[in-house]
Amino acid sequence: MEDFLVILLKVAAIYGGVIGTAALYTLAERKVAAWIQYRIGPNRVGPWGLLQPLADGVKFIFKEELVPAGANKLLFRLAPMMSAVPAMLTIAVVPFAGDMTLFGVDTFGAIAKIDMSAFYVVAIGGLGVYGIILGGWSSNSKYSLMGGLRASAQMVSYELSLLLGILSIVVVSGSADLYDIVDAQSGAIWRWNAFQQPLAFGLFVIATFAETNRHPFDFAECEPELVAGFHTEYSSMKFALFFLGEYCAMIVMASLTTTFFLGGFEVPFWADAPWVIQLAAFGAKTAFFLFLFLWVRWTLPRFRFDQLMSLGWKVMLPLSLLNVFLYGALTSFGAFGD
Amino acid sequence: MAETLFYLLSIGAIACGAGVIRARMPLFSVLCLLGAFFCLSGIYLLAGFQFLAVTQLLVYAGAIMVLFLFVIMLLNLGDENEIARQSGIALSGKQLAVAGTSAGVFALIGVLTAGYGIAPVETASTRASGIDELQTLAVELFSRYMLPFEAASLLLLLTMIGVIAIAKRQRAGEPTHTGAGFPWTKEPLDEESTL
Repeated sequence: MEDFLVILLKVAAIYGGVIGTAALYTLAERKVAAWIQYRIGPNRVGPWGLLQPLADGVKFIFKEELVPAGANKLLFRLAPMMSAVPAMLTIAVVPFAGDMTLFGVDTFGAIAKIDMSAFYVVAIGGLGVYGIILGGWSSNSKYSLMGGLRASAQMVSYELSLLLGILSIVVVSGSADLYDIVDAQSGAIWRWNAFQQPLAFGLFVIATFAETNRHPFDFAECEPELVAGFHTEYSSMKFALFFLGEYCAMIVMASLTTTFFLGGFEVPFWADAPWVIQLAAFGAKTAFFLFLFLWVRWTLPRFRFDQLMSLGWKVMLPLSLLNVFLYGALTSFGAFGD
Repeated sequence: MAETLFYLLSIGAIACGAGVIRARMPLFSVLCLLGAFFCLSGIYLLAGFQFLAVTQLLVYAGAIMVLFLFVIMLLNLGDENEIARQSGIALSGKQLAVAGTSAGVFALIGVLTAGYGIAPVETASTRASGIDELQTLAVELFSRYMLPFEAASLLLLLTMIGVIAIAKRQRAGEPTHTGAGFPWTKEPLDEESTL
């Protein structure tokens, strides 16, 4: 019984935390944009504008819901859900902290521990593209359709580099369990995969930008060309759900980058830190990547779509393959043996 | 519990399979196929094959079905009447020759595989779970099943080359697409601005 309550508590805490972070992240996006552009940003609702996400939510609820003429109503309603749900399912295996004891029950800092979690996150996370494609198709609008088409081509191309990056980590760590991957990086900072596999790190970070449709790869939206891309025709809470899906996906990608490359919840120079410290360390590392998403967005201009494709297939993919080959060979010659 | 889940997933897979061939719009066929893959992946999980379940989702649901959707949306295949109209292409002698060669290669691979006496065998090691399953799978795949594995990759390579060859040949002549319903495909665009 207590076991069950602890599991429920963990699920509530992790999902509440992630959705809360997503809400604050929308505010952070505007605040950082303002800071980079030498403006003030939202500061009217609550202290430092902290209640702005809440006000946005209320506004979304009161907006009129429109379904465009000629739209496929079923898919039009289904698409926002299909965009938000995969990102949230992925969170279930992310290790936020190590072993812990809650109310006398020994447990661990994730909702689920599965052997194939490193592949599970890509398999489930990759399904988020269906929301974008179907949203674009069912809107019966050419801008939306182009946004959906671009998203499908882009996600498939960059998923390869993402997966190959994870593959070289799995090869070196000898396990596809995220907890084992974190364990393999424990001990010293130089054992973090970011330093062990700098090429894979760089490729993975670039691929996460493409997978989450963020600048400089946000071709599914691409305001100057496609109005708002796949969600041009969406309004009210349906639009908000797309928004939530995008921000959740960014949080998931940031926490995965942390887990795969920055030692996850490992605290440098403190091997068996209490789980609260581990959680804080995880949060700090993830926050850096979350900031990186914003930093890049307001700094770099957008690519052209053909540049995106040639980068994905002619640069990233060969380099990823080379990386897997290199680290596979090094591992088989015992370079990473304990 | 597991048995109930198995029956539920099986019924789901069969219903989705029926949906694939019954759906009037190709897009719904793809979505039904997606559902069928999910059910199959659940069945693999119940049988204890985590890697297979994840790969099923990763490869089929995550990549191949997305490309299916891409093609359907690009060609704007509304319903089946339109497909029938667009695919009325007669096979030329050359295409038949290509098809025959492919079939020959396929047969050769089959004969080779059969000649080496490799048949799917369920051993105790292939039933192991966890990371051992991944390692066992890799060892079996790259030692015992090396030839079929390489043959399958060769076949896939041939298919890719074939598709590119066919696509190139059509581009050289008249544009074959009808571009139904797409105002921007009426006149040929340069490659960069198509996407």
